[in-house]
Amino acid sequence: MALPPTIPTSFVPRSTSVAARQLRTNFTGTFGFFAYIIFGIILVLTLSIFFYDRILAGTLTSRDAALAQAQKAIDIATVEGFVQLRDRLNAGALLLANHVALSKFFKLLETLLPASVRFNSLHLTIDDTKKVKLEGLGIAKNFNALATVSTAFAKDGHIKDAIFSNIVVTKDGSVSFALSATLDQKVVAFSP
Amino acid sequence: MKNSIASDNKALAAAITYATQQNELAAARNAIDPADLNRLVAFLPSSVDNVGLILDLNALAARSGLALSNIDVMTTAVVSKGNDSTLAPTNPVGSVNLALSAVGTYTALQAFLRGVETSQRLLDIRELVVKGSDTGVYTYQMKITLYWLR
Repeated sequence: MALPPTIPTSFVPRSTSVAARQLRTNFTGTFGFFAYIIFGIILVLTLSIFFYDRILAGTLTSRDAALAQAQKAIDIATVEGFVQLRDRLNAGALLLANHVALSKFFKLLETLLPASVRFNSLHLTIDDTKKVKLEGLGIAKNFNALATVSTAFAKDGHIKDAIFSNIVVTKDGSVSFALSATLDQKVVAFSP
Repeated sequence: MKNSIASDNKALAAAITYATQQNELAAARNAIDPADLNRLVAFLPSSVDNVGLILDLNALAARSGLALSNIDVMTTAVVSKGNDSTLAPTNPVGSVNLALSAVGTYTALQAFLRGVETSQRLLDIRELVVKGSDTGVYTYQMKITLYWLR
């Protein structure tokens, strides 16, 4: 009876074929080749990173040293001197622009008041908003003299909102009065 | 590390800018006459020095023919926000009011007022009360604001 071809004729294993052995050798060689390339690449990368790190560390050290030197070169006293000078110049200009000169007001009053009118008391105040208030008590020789002053104030325009009150005509014909007014800021503004 | 270097580079650039500006400022300051700088310091001194000012005012009053009878510092009116509408919120200028009483002629008052107005140290008369008399000698009360750089 003939044996089917699927049943082996011998129990002794057959030796591996030469072709299969060649294929395995080729595969191992190619794998090894690529492994060496990858190893080489990794080695190059590692060395690059190492040297780059050294370069960066060197750069940082030199920058830190330069920065420390630059910081040392800054003199705080010089800086404070500049800040003080700036503040002094700015504040000085501002204060000078708001500087008060009351002597100008008295000169104006001398030109506006006739000899027949005089003040017994005057009160000038300048508030924070630079508003100048004038209050005073005075005596005019007669009512016409007082009217002249009132007209002169109105005509000049520097003594504003002038209100004459408490007007009393005395026995000798003189007139006592109280004055309340505000002054134009220009009248008391300092001009060099 | 790269971030640290970048931050150092920024700081170094700022330091170079600072050095350049410092040189420019020094040149500008050196261009100002030292006498003018001294006048500026006298105009707005770094301390209150109200005692020195009182001495100066006393001398000015004597030169003007005005007799000062009383000088007092008004402690309630400290701190110059007197000009707070015009100066910056962080005001570097301090101020205090002095109350003065004096006696003298009208001519003497005029001379004193001119002296105060043109004083090397900045002084502002904020209030003036004049009370007359038949003798031609008047009594005066004034409030003078003095300033200094804090």
